[in-house]
Parts: sequence; C-alpha cells; structure tokens
Amino acid sequence: MSVGGLSAYTALAETVNARRRAQPVHTGPDQLVALGGLKLRQRRTRLAVLLEHASEIDAIAPGVRAYADARLNEELAEVRAAFMLGRVSRDLLTRSMALVREAASRETGEEAYTVQLAGALALVHGRIAEMVTGEGKTLTGSLAVPLLAWRYRHVHVLTVNDYLAQRDADSRRSLYARCGLGVAAIQQEQPPGERAGHYAGPIVYGTPKEIAADYLRDQIRMGPVDSPWSGWQTLGGRGPIVPGLHACLVDEADAVLIDEGVTPLIIARPREADGLAPVYERARAMAEALEEGRGYAVDHLRKKIKLTHEGLADLRSAFARESDQTWRIERRGTELVRQALLAHHCYARGRQYELVDGRVVIVDEYTGRFLPDRSWEHGLHQAVEAKEGVEITADRETLARISFQKFFRSYRFLAGMTGTAADAAGEMERVYGRPVTVIPTHRPVARVQRPTRIFRTAQTKWRAILDSIEAEHALGRPVLVGTRSVEASVHLSELLGARGLAHSVLNAHHHAEEAGTIAHAGEAGRITVATNMAGRGTDIKLTTDARERGGLHVILTEIHGARRVDRQFIGRAGRQGDPGSAQVFASLEDDLASRFAPSLAALAVKRSRDEELTGDRLAVQVLRLAQRRSEARDRRGRAGVLRQDDWLEKHMPGR
Amino acid sequence: MSERPTFSPHWHRVRTMRPRLRPHVQVTRQRYRGRRWHVAHDPASNRFFRMSPVAHELVGLLDGRRTVEDAWTIVAEKHGPDAPTQPEVIELVAHLYNSNLLSVDASPETEQLLRRGRERLKKKVQGQAIGIMYFRMRLFNPDAILSAVEPVLRPVLNRWGLIAWAVFVAVALYRLVPELGAFGEGFRDAIAPSNWLWIIAVFVVAKGLHELGHGVICKRFGGQVPEFGALLLVLVPSPYVDASASWAFASKWQRIAVGSGGMIFELFLASIAVHVWLATSPGELPHQLAYNAMLTAGVSTLVFNANPLMRFDGYYILSDLLEIPNLMQRSFKMLQYQFQRFVYRLDDAQAPTSDPGEGLTLTIYGIAATIYRVFLFVTITLFVMGQLFAIGLLLAIWTAAAWFLMPVGKFIRWLSTSPKLAEHRVRAVGVSLAMLALGVVLLGLIPAPDSRRGVGVVESAARTGVFAAQDGFLARVVALPGTRVEEGDAIVVLENDELLHRLRMARAMLAEFESVEREMTARSPSSVEIARDRVSAQRDAVAFLESQAERLTVRAPHAGVLVGPELAGLAGSLVREGDALGEIVDVEGVRVTASLPQLESAWLFDEAEPYRVAIRPVSLPGVVVRGENAVAVDAGQLVLPHAGLGVSGGGTIALDQQDQSGRLADTPQFVVYVEPAASDRWVPTPGERVHLRFRLSAKPLLAQWADRLHKMVQGRVQL
Repeated sequence: MSVGGLSAYTALAETVNARRRAQPVHTGPDQLVALGGLKLRQRRTRLAVLLEHASEIDAIAPGVRAYADARLNEELAEVRAAFMLGRVSRDLLTRSMALVREAASRETGEEAYTVQLAGALALVHGRIAEMVTGEGKTLTGSLAVPLLAWRYRHVHVLTVNDYLAQRDADSRRSLYARCGLGVAAIQQEQPPGERAGHYAGPIVYGTPKEIAADYLRDQIRMGPVDSPWSGWQTLGGRGPIVPGLHACLVDEADAVLIDEGVTPLIIARPREADGLAPVYERARAMAEALEEGRGYAVDHLRKKIKLTHEGLADLRSAFARESDQTWRIERRGTELVRQALLAHHCYARGRQYELVDGRVVIVDEYTGRFLPDRSWEHGLHQAVEAKEGVEITADRETLARISFQKFFRSYRFLAGMTGTAADAAGEMERVYGRPVTVIPTHRPVARVQRPTRIFRTAQTKWRAILDSIEAEHALGRPVLVGTRSVEASVHLSELLGARGLAHSVLNAHHHAEEAGTIAHAGEAGRITVATNMAGRGTDIKLTTDARERGGLHVILTEIHGARRVDRQFIGRAGRQGDPGSAQVFASLEDDLASRFAPSLAALAVKRSRDEELTGDRLAVQVLRLAQRRSEARDRRGRAGVLRQDDWLEKHMPGR
Repeated sequence: MSERPTFSPHWHRVRTMRPRLRPHVQVTRQRYRGRRWHVAHDPASNRFFRMSPVAHELVGLLDGRRTVEDAWTIVAEKHGPDAPTQPEVIELVAHLYNSNLLSVDASPETEQLLRRGRERLKKKVQGQAIGIMYFRMRLFNPDAILSAVEPVLRPVLNRWGLIAWAVFVAVALYRLVPELGAFGEGFRDAIAPSNWLWIIAVFVVAKGLHELGHGVICKRFGGQVPEFGALLLVLVPSPYVDASASWAFASKWQRIAVGSGGMIFELFLASIAVHVWLATSPGELPHQLAYNAMLTAGVSTLVFNANPLMRFDGYYILSDLLEIPNLMQRSFKMLQYQFQRFVYRLDDAQAPTSDPGEGLTLTIYGIAATIYRVFLFVTITLFVMGQLFAIGLLLAIWTAAAWFLMPVGKFIRWLSTSPKLAEHRVRAVGVSLAMLALGVVLLGLIPAPDSRRGVGVVESAARTGVFAAQDGFLARVVALPGTRVEEGDAIVVLENDELLHRLRMARAMLAEFESVEREMTARSPSSVEIARDRVSAQRDAVAFLESQAERLTVRAPHAGVLVGPELAGLAGSLVREGDALGEIVDVEGVRVTASLPQLESAWLFDEAEPYRVAIRPVSLPGVVVRGENAVAVDAGQLVLPHAGLGVSGGGTIALDQQDQSGRLADTPQFVVYVEPAASDRWVPTPGERVHLRFRLSAKPLLAQWADRLHKMVQGRVQL
C-alpha cells in the first residue's frame, strides 16, 4: 500500500466514523440531563471568562508585536506542533491566539479587537458566537480557524455562497500559509478530482450544500458498510472525496443550522423511462374538474389538500375512464390529483418558484435565491410544470438524502458565528448541543430604528413605502428596500419606475449582477430593491458622501416569517459604527398575517376606520402573533424532521 | 377522515432493499373478531409481531429476491385503498427488523445493533424503576421440569380432563357451601401471627403449582417456556413463568387454556383442601394447612388472578375471549381517541379500531380499568401506609408519579407541543383549562355529602342507680327487684324519726309565728315587717324539711325494671344518704354507645349536636335506622364502654397490647350516645353491635380528602 493509499484508507475510516457519530436526539428526562450537563460545562466558557481570557491575550500582545517575522514563524510552528499533539492548555491557547492575531495583523493589516478575540475563543470552545453584523466576523473566524486546523487536521469553513467562499479563502490565504496551513475553496463547477485535492488540505471554504453533497455522494458510493475495510473494498481501493467530518466552522450559523437545517439535501436522478408527462396533464384536468368545497378543501397553512368523499367518488369514476396503467392504483391517482390541486392553490409563481428559460425553478424562501438543481418530490414539481404549461420533466428518484441537521451533528467539532443567534439559542442547544454566546460590540451601533408602520391594505402600504423612499432619496441617502418575494420586488420596481425613481433590483433573476449591485448600493442617492438575497453576508460599503448624508436607510416592505430574518436585513444599515436607519412597513393583508392570524387580522381591519394602523395595539399584536406562529410552525417542522431522522437512524437497517 | 399520505420522502431507504423473514420465524394465523391476522414469532428470541393480512401478503412477497418497491407495487395494485402506504411499509420493515424477524441484505451496522441492545436494556431498567410495585427477577429455565411433568399429565390435559376437573371442583364447592359459616369464622385464626409462616409456605406451594399449570399447558400445545422467575408484587414475592409462546397459538381456546392453566391447577389444590378441611377437626395441623390452601389457592386466586382489570391471568383470558389483543393499551388509546375526538374535536384523531363493537368494548374496559387502577392505588397505598407508614408514603409518591404525574406531564407536553394540535391548540388548551376549572369547582367548591363511620353497641339508654336521698332506717320495701316500676313509683320507704320530729317542731313554730304576725298587724303596724320576715323564713325551713321527709320514700327516676340486691331482709337497718339501693334499667329505651378514636374524630367539634346518624345493625344487613339525639358525652376515655367495641370483641377499635380485659383502647376515645328511632324492622337488644354512619355537613370533596389525609398523617407524625 502506498503512502497515498494509506491516507486514503485513513480518510475512509474517518468517513465511516462520521457516519456513526450523529448523536442520538435526547428526549424526555434524557434531554433535561443533557441540557443540564451542557449548562454546567458551558459555565467554564461563559462570556465573562472569555473576555477575561481575551484581555490576558491583549496583555501579552506587545511582546508578540515586537517579534521579528522569523521569530513569529518559529513560535507559530512551535504552538502548531503542540496543538497537533493534542495538548491544549489555557496557556497554549493564550499564546497561540496572540501569535495568530499578530500574524493576521501583519498579513492582512487587520488588528483584532478584544471582543473579536473573545469571539474567536468562543469558537475554539465550540460555541455559537453572536456578533453584530459588521463587527468583523471574517477576522474573528480566521483567528480560530488555524487553531482548529492544527487540532483537528481538517476544518470546513462554511459560507453562504460560492463567491464568499472564494473571497474569504483568498483573503486569508497568506495568514494561513504563515500558520503552516493551505486553504482552498470549493466551487460549484469544480470536478470531483479537483475537489478531492482541496478536501485533502487542512482548510476548506465552501457552502454547506456543496460539502454535504460531496459527503453524501461518498456515502452512496460506499454503500451500507460498517467498517473501513469493507468500504475500502466497495470503493475499489480509493478513498472518499471528503476525508471525514472533523471540525466545522459555520458562518451565518442560524441560517445554516436552523433555517436550512431541515432542508434535506437530496441526491437524485431522473427516473428512467418515465413517460408520465400525459399523466400529469390528465391529473391537472381532473383537478380542475373538481369543485373547491364540494370536492376538496385547501389547508393553506399546512399546504395540504383534503379530498372529500364526493371528491374521491368523482375521482374514482374519472380513473375508471382512463386507459393508462397509472390510474389503476387508486392511491397513486388521488395523490397525483392532490399534487395538482396543491400546485394550483398553494404554489405561486414569483413566490415559491419562477420560470427561467421555460423551466420551473424553486426560489428559496429564506434567501430569495434560485435553487436551480432542486425539485419538489413526488410529482409536485411535475404538477407545477403542468400548471405552467412548460415541458414536464421526469420525476426524480431519491438515491440518498441527509438533512443538514444530521450532517452537522456528524462533525467531531462544530462552532459557528452569526449576527442573529440569540433568538434560536434554545434550539442550538437542544439540537446541536452548542451554547450561544452574545459577544458585545466593539463600537456602539449607531443605527436608528424607526417605529414599524402598519397599514390596513397592501395598496396603502406600498404608497407609504414609495413616499418614504422618495423622502430619504431626496436627502441623498442610499436606500435599501427589502421585499419578501421576487414577485414583490418586481411589483415595487414597477411602482418606482412609475414615479420616475431610478433604482436597481436584486433578485433571483439578477443574481449575476449581485456583486456589482451591492458594490454600488452604498453610494449616495442609490435606491436598491432586493429580496432576502441581500440579507445575509452582504456588506454594503458606504461612500464618504453617503455617510455624511446619514448613511444607509433600510426599508423592509413586509414582516418575515422569523424575527431573525428581519433583524438580518435591518442589520445592513449602521455597520461598523456607521450611521444608518431602518424602518419596517407591514399591512394586515400581508401573507404572514393572512396566513397565520387571519381572523384576528380581519378583526383589526374591522375595528378601525383609519388606513394607517401604526401603533394600534391590536394590529401590532396581530403581526407579532403571526410571526410567532410562523416561527413556531417552522420550529415544529424542524423538530419533526429531527425526530424522523432519529427514528430512521435507530430503526432502519442500513443507511 | 384523515388522509394517509401515499408517499414517503424516506422511501429510498427501503426501496431497493431485498429483505426476507428470517428462516426460523414461524407465522401463525389467528382470527380476531372475525378478521384474519398473522403473528410472526421468533422462538429463539421469543418476539412477536402481529400483521394484517395485507401486510402479511406484502411480507410474503419479500422473498429476498424481490425489492420492497416491487412488492409494494404488486400489493398496491391488488388492494387499492387498503394497501399500505409507503410510510406504513417503512414502519413495517423497521418493526420487523427491530424485532429481529427480518433479515436484510444490507450488512447490519454493529454500532446500530449495540445501540439497540443498550436502549432495550435502558428501557427495561427504567421500567423496573418506575414499577417498583412489580419487580421482576429472572431465576432459571424451567424447561427440564416441564419436560418431565408434561408427559405424565398429558393423558388428562384434554377435554375430558377439563370436565373431570370441573366435576371435582363442583363437588368440593357443593360440600363447602353448608360449611361457609365455619369457613368465615376460621378467618380470624388464619390471620393470627401463629399461622403466618404456614400461610406463606402454602402460598409459595400454591403459586408454584399455579406457574407449573401455565407452563405445562403451554408445553402441551407445543410452546416453549424459557423463563421462570419471581415477581415482587407490592413487595410480596410471587413466582411467574414466561408462557408468552402461547401468543402465537392459532386457536384462541389453546391460548385461553394456557392463561387459565394456573387457576385450574390452583383450584384443583383448593378442592383437595376442601375435602381435607372437612375431614379434620379444628386444632389439627392438616386442618389448618387445608384452610390456608383454600384461602390462598381458592379465594386469593379468584380475587386476584381471575380479575381482568389488572394484567394477570384474567386479563389475558378476557383479551383472548374478546379477541382483542393488547386490550389494556388499546383501551387507553381508545379513551385518548375519544377525548381528542369529542372533547378537543380533532378531526384527524386516529381511532385504534374501526369496528364499533370493538370500540365499545375498548371504551368500557378502559373506563373500568382506569377506575380500578385508582381504587387499587388508593387501597394499596392506604393499606401499606397503615402498616409501614414511611415505606407506604414513599411507595405512594412513587406510584403516584408513575401512574398519575407522568401521564399528566405527558398530557401537558402533548397539549403544548403535539403537532396534531397545531391549529387547534388554543381551543384545546381552552377546553383543558375549562375542564380543569370545572374539576376544581366540582371538587373544591361544590359541597358534597360527607360521612364518617363508627361502631357501636346497643345498651339500655337509662340505667340509673337508685340511691337513698336521706338517712333513715329501712322501713318498707315497696318494689321487689325484677319488677317493673313506673316513673315516680316508690321503691323503698325509710323512717327517720328525728327528721319527722324536727318537721313537727318547725310546723309548730310556724303556727306560732303566724299568730304573732296577725297580732302585730292589728296592734302595731310598724313592727309587722319583722314578724312577716320571721314567718317567711320559718316557712322555708318547713318546706325544706318537708322535702327531706318526702325523700324518705325512694322513687324510681324513670320507668324500668328494678334490679339490685334483695332489700327485704335489711328492714330496719340504717341506710345512709347516698347508699345504693339498686338500679332501674329501662329495657325499652335503649341507646347505642359508640367509641370514636379522638385522633380521627375532630369533626365532633365542628358539627352541631345532635349529630345526624344512621344505624345499621350488624345482625340485619340492609336495615338502616335513623339515630336520634346523638351527643358526645365523654372524651379522653381509654376504657371502652363495652368490650364489643374493641377488636377482640369484634369491633374496630385497636386495643392496648398489654390489655387483658378487652376494654382498654390504645388511643383515647370519644364516647357518643345515639338513640335509635323506633322501627318495626329492628328491635334493638342490649349488647348487640351496630355500624354507625355519621352524616357530616356537606363540604367540597377536596377539603374532605385533605382533611382525611391530614388526620392520617397527623396520627403518624410521631414516627
């Protein structure tokens, strides 16, 4: 066996290990015990302790600063060796953190503040650090990454998109090199061979989707093996692409771990010899023949269709008239019709999906981005295609599937950073066993949060939004307007156009211009309309002119399903001590209110004669309740996925 | 109607699998309520799995060559809406696999296997910890014994044997019936400490025979019995065998036979004991042993083992008779379902059965079992607390936690997190709170009748001593002892010449004073006042002496019979004031005297006298007589008014351990008198024992319970 073979074999063993590692979910008394243990353990790494440790590092900084380059490198090599041996003492941590900080300052010119040191320490201790957007999360992360790479050999740094992965990997390359570590970024278009080379290195930047998919593909290739040796035979003497799941540092941890946590990553292939296109057409026709109320009921909240007895009877007779084999199995037939109804009632173009080049493309609810390689399952995607009259693609069959929750729980070490984790702290602890630390800001936030304005109808809301944009624009301030859906961004763009206001639009359709649009969004007098795409990880740099005119003004045109998403978007203003302001606009006709608190919303509308309900106690409560319900629903959904994962894990043979 | 989703996102986990039942798994067909079911049984691990015919068909198609998807497609085409959905198939595969009934082409992960083992162990330990009332201990494999015994008994283990057995038991019963009185009387001796060791010995033999019965019959029908052990039932050890192999028997009568095997053997023993008992006389050891056997193998078996409300033999027999497996679990599910469906109005609640008859049975059984459970919990706890207070208290807390707090906690959790409730949570919480409020109002605010029990003895209401009220010589005896006197009748007449003399003197002086007064009125009105005063003083003196003289005749204070010493012979002798001359006993006006332990009877102070009491004579079951003028007359009494109130006299009041008289209570008592109202159904006889039921003023139930608990703890607090 060659040396390369040996390392491949080790990698394989690690992959097999990772598969076993996903800890069982604790329930009942076990959960209390586990959480209690976590609370006890995390006392040792609570914020006060971290800040004290950080100031110790500060204290030895002048000595380190005086080192010549060669001495610094020598010292780094020394602590690196100690880390690799696994003997990590507090002193060693203090020392190496001071050295890496100094290296970072020499290589990138960025001097880490004490709070950033505390943040980096929190990461090293495996916590989720909440740091206000614009407080230099990238720098904080890059202080922790070398230590983790020394200790765990491989670190995956997860970012929101490919662009950020590449950018961050490049900007940190020299720092990591100084620490004796190579770095690479995984990009969507890279072939497997190139990726394998990247993964073999100590530090890999990439999106969760890409890395999890590579891991999952390894799993498929390996099959249900339970020892490295049997895997070795299955893979024909080659190692896996991802050499195990070691340490993982997640940027935007709440989005990745919580929001995306339940999105299953699916490796699928089109079903061979499908030929079912006419069947979906027929299903659509049958669905249209049914009458709502008599034949079926729509549950918008849960996105479910309930067929009535009459509806079922109608369908049965309809099936009997069909010649295709598919309709023989009644279950499959009713399911197809139900999907067609669902596509018709609960899926709207511009919200859940878009048409791109004659194809149905899913739009991500949280990020507002296209998900071109995803499709809905069990014929729903085809039903939507039938509804839109585009070419019906073959249904895909799932080969393997992993929920991100399970994927992340398979890492030996997990830490994360985000601007908004506190809202999800409970879930982080329960699901991942990771406590959240809120790191204080270095500079006070200078953003002015204006009171939320609430309107009776969407129409008046849009009018008020336009007025508000115009007013801020007149001051010469850059304005960023956030919309919840692609549809809304297009709508607003039209309205702005009608008023003759020049603006740029950033939504899933315009993702190619993303970087350019963002680069200019901080200029004085700019109006940018964006979906949530601009919400996470986007750094809008203000021009001096814009800063003098009062900084960026962020307008949110709708309340999102989760508070965190609102906070993220608002966080675009007032970064790094810049001036800025933000305001939320909402109406009782908005999707959120009408879906999650319809009766209360109606009551609030009925009770008042005013068009604007800002400050109306009931209206405020309606929106708050709707958001809380939406959050609770998502949380329930996630808990359900987790339970199911756990059940399968425990009860199903193989993987 | 709830929708079962056809597809599962996890289908890929089983889709391409080619599983098959493990070769040694036996599948038997059973009928339940006219429907066919299939039970897969692995004799090696003694695990079972029950499947519907469609599921069985699917499993039958899985031959190790066909994939799960192929099998599912075949079944789905054939059965339409009755076919299992993808999630159901996944669950089926997982269940079979986890019961080690299914072999899967995928190599099992060692880690997963180990984890499964660990979890099973953990569950077992947890189960033991929660149910300390039923601690289970495996001892050995009884197969060798059973293999030896079964061939010997085989010739009678059939229909004819059963008939012979029934005749034998019937004969014993027939002979016992006339002797039931003697049987009842024997009980007191049986629970005497001197018999304890014997009764335990007989108990162990009887229960051993019981388990042998299960084992042998199970063996007779081809089942394996791999385990013999001891079960600590409320801290009392009791043997058990694992005859679960019978679950796979195709015939329900065979299953019932195994379930009844224990009782059949035990009742056989009890019947032999009846004959022995009748043939021997009291005081002989065989007589005593036979009695013990009748008690343990006969009575206790019928009371405990035959009771279908606990998970004993009777339960399994009933379960097979009704053809409802998992009766208890499914009954509780049924109650849950009805709660969800009709109280919370959850449309998609899943009933555990679609058969209305079965549903009704489940409901009735569920309610009965719940009530019984509560009843059993309360009685066992109170009993153990009465014997060993501290242990009883611990046991109570533990069991309350396991039986009540945990379900309540689970319920609250379900209410707050169940996804099923998602859209109805507000309503469900509202309904629950409303029910809670209703419960609080019903139990905590609305007064409910309350009563206390006591035991009393009929006594003559008036039993009054006859005393001399004046010194004197016995002059004449008017009423003889044993004769009936009316109130005021003279009993004896005394003579006191001195008194009579003084009376005469006083009367003379009065006459003199009166004449003086008359004179003064005429002559000197100014001095009249003095004379008048003197007259009136002298009049008083005369009246006093007259009453004294009157008391020389001793009269009956009330109607009754005079009892006492023969006085006639004492004529002429001196009788001093206060000397007893006899007693008048009123035989018609009887009263009930009751003793109530002071610790438990503080209510006597809260209630106004006369208390409301109902009297039930022990001798006439079913007769209730109103009590009148019930009053508490004495407190702090250790000596009971009647020996019939103490335990040794047949009453309920615990006696002092050193006491020989049978009248010395171990705690202070209140004494209460009650007069029975006239009734034509009951003529109270002095000395007769009665039960008393004091009606207290209505109080909310919660207050009543708290009160009783408080009393109970209060009495034990010294411990």
